[in-house]
Amino acid sequence: MDVIDQLGELGEGKLSRRKFTKSLMAAGIGIATTPLASSLAQAAADDQGTFFTWGGYDIPELFGAYKEKHGELPSFATFGGSEEALTKMRGGYVVDVSHPCNAGIPRWIASGLFQPIDTSRLSNWSDVIPELYNLQGNFVDGKPYLAPFDWGQTSITYRTDLFELEGEESWDMLWDERYKGRLGSLASGGDAWWCGAIKAGVAMSDIDTPEAFEKIAAAMRAQRPLIRVYTDDTTTLEQALASGEMVAAMTWNSSASLLKADGVPVRFATPKEGALTWVCGLMIHKDAPNLDSAYDIIDSLLSVESGKYMINDYGYGHANSKAFDAFDEETLVGLGLSKTPTDILAAGHFQIPQSQEWETKMNALFEEIKAGF
Amino acid sequence: MMLQKSETLRAYSLLSPTLIIMAIGILVPFGILIVMSFWTQVGFGFDMTPTVANYEMATERPIYGALLKRSLWMSGMATVTTVLLCYPMAYFVAFHVHRNKMLWIVLMTLPFWTSYLLRVFAWKVVLGYDGVINSALMNIGLIEKPLEFLLYSQAAVIITLAHAWAAFAILPMYVSLEKIDRSLLEAATDLGDGPVMRFLRITLPLSLPGVMSATLLIFIPTTGDYITPALLGGPDGVMIGNLIQKQFGAVNNWPMGATLAIILMLSIAMITLVFLFATNFVRKRIS
Repeated sequence: MDVIDQLGELGEGKLSRRKFTKSLMAAGIGIATTPLASSLAQAAADDQGTFFTWGGYDIPELFGAYKEKHGELPSFATFGGSEEALTKMRGGYVVDVSHPCNAGIPRWIASGLFQPIDTSRLSNWSDVIPELYNLQGNFVDGKPYLAPFDWGQTSITYRTDLFELEGEESWDMLWDERYKGRLGSLASGGDAWWCGAIKAGVAMSDIDTPEAFEKIAAAMRAQRPLIRVYTDDTTTLEQALASGEMVAAMTWNSSASLLKADGVPVRFATPKEGALTWVCGLMIHKDAPNLDSAYDIIDSLLSVESGKYMINDYGYGHANSKAFDAFDEETLVGLGLSKTPTDILAAGHFQIPQSQEWETKMNALFEEIKAGF
Repeated sequence: MMLQKSETLRAYSLLSPTLIIMAIGILVPFGILIVMSFWTQVGFGFDMTPTVANYEMATERPIYGALLKRSLWMSGMATVTTVLLCYPMAYFVAFHVHRNKMLWIVLMTLPFWTSYLLRVFAWKVVLGYDGVINSALMNIGLIEKPLEFLLYSQAAVIITLAHAWAAFAILPMYVSLEKIDRSLLEAATDLGDGPVMRFLRITLPLSLPGVMSATLLIFIPTTGDYITPALLGGPDGVMIGNLIQKQFGAVNNWPMGATLAIILMLSIAMITLVFLFATNFVRKRIS
């Protein structure tokens, strides 16, 4: 049965009804059996745990130990912001492990969607830097819910050859009228709003006051006409910085590290007002279908090998203290990191967990501002 | 009587798979949407006391009305562009292609065999700062700096929508043009009409049903489009679909999202009705 022949006959109106029904039947059987064949082939992959994470963590380099044990990588699902991830899981999406940050911990636990971590099942737990898991709200009845994994900063990556610096590095760089239309920003309020607070001079502890809302909103409104694009996709920002479409953008450590490795002249700024600092980590879903794999995912991410990759290639801090041993102090300072994360975290502005009402109010307002209102 | 009854029964039993899918897939979610739009979000949960607060907020805060207007305008522009560009194509195949018509139709729909998302991304590559158009213009020396308005603008969204939905315009217009009885055209020529008058008095009125269905097929889905403005729109190209998505995502206000979705649906329904009445009126006048 030749498809082209049939199409030709159909065009000329010569195809008999019987022939047409026959080919419909063939197509129907084909379509009906295709998912069967592929679902048989995928059965093996279904046994793997699912890691619901930010884009960029879905790479084999972070899952060496996991792959050795299971023969393949875990399944991945990615999100652009952790609020979006929480909403999806509240809507019924079940994964094994997800990846929230310190500001979300109490609300994530309060959602009742997660289970405490049995640290005795993690071979690397004893090497985890304690300051990173002793976070506000992380322990309930003496059990931690979040296993810290990465920490770092939200700051400004700028082109040293295109951005003419006036005085010190500062958050004013992202409010610089000279570069109107050539500045970029992360779209998620979880980063941008807090950076706006630093720029507006609002203390992190005062962020839930009407005056803070007013001040930060004013700052964000002033910045909006200067911004070329708000995006949660770091690749978009990196490509724009590489091509010169943007001269400066709000990013995390990894964007600057990746661009430097590509030979683009950029710097990850140390703003005089301080950068935004954060710790992110791993939580296990209460209905995790592959609990053993979930623990293997976490253990693999906490391993020294993953840590070396995180520090060397992404420029993030890692939770495993031994991962830092491979680097000398000078390299770490150059990356804006240190073996004692508390120094770095305290030098910047550390996010403070807020209520769900605050998150909703802030995000609704920030969406309006981004749309130009 | 008996026969009639069994006829209706047969019709319904033939329809029943579709009816069941309609009920489960459309009516039930629509009902949930309506009910939810009268709720209030409280933290992680809902306050289920019915209230019209969401609708009040949607009319009071300027952002909602402005984004709705912008979406209707952008989608309207995309629809007009698509129909104007595709009509000549459909006309050509219907009247001037005599062999391998099917092949032509297949060729015209060929670009639509790739995923919608990939096509949107492809436009990002074409329109981008160091994209195809800018590189070409810079290479031949027409411009010195890349044109920035190409990407992250309303124009970028309209261009992409017009391309992405072209197949939905060509096919219905082709069908209605193909159906036109050629002897009518001969008669018009015999009675002294030139090519232009013949087109205006015979071809255009008779192909209007195709144009109408093409217009509706494009206008209705593009008004709520989400991915194209999200990737290509930039801050000024945001549409109502993006705002609705945010309500179910980061903003975490599902009842407000439901309210906006219903308002969008009502607006589209109203515009569609006005459009249908208007074209019917015009059709009666010219024929």
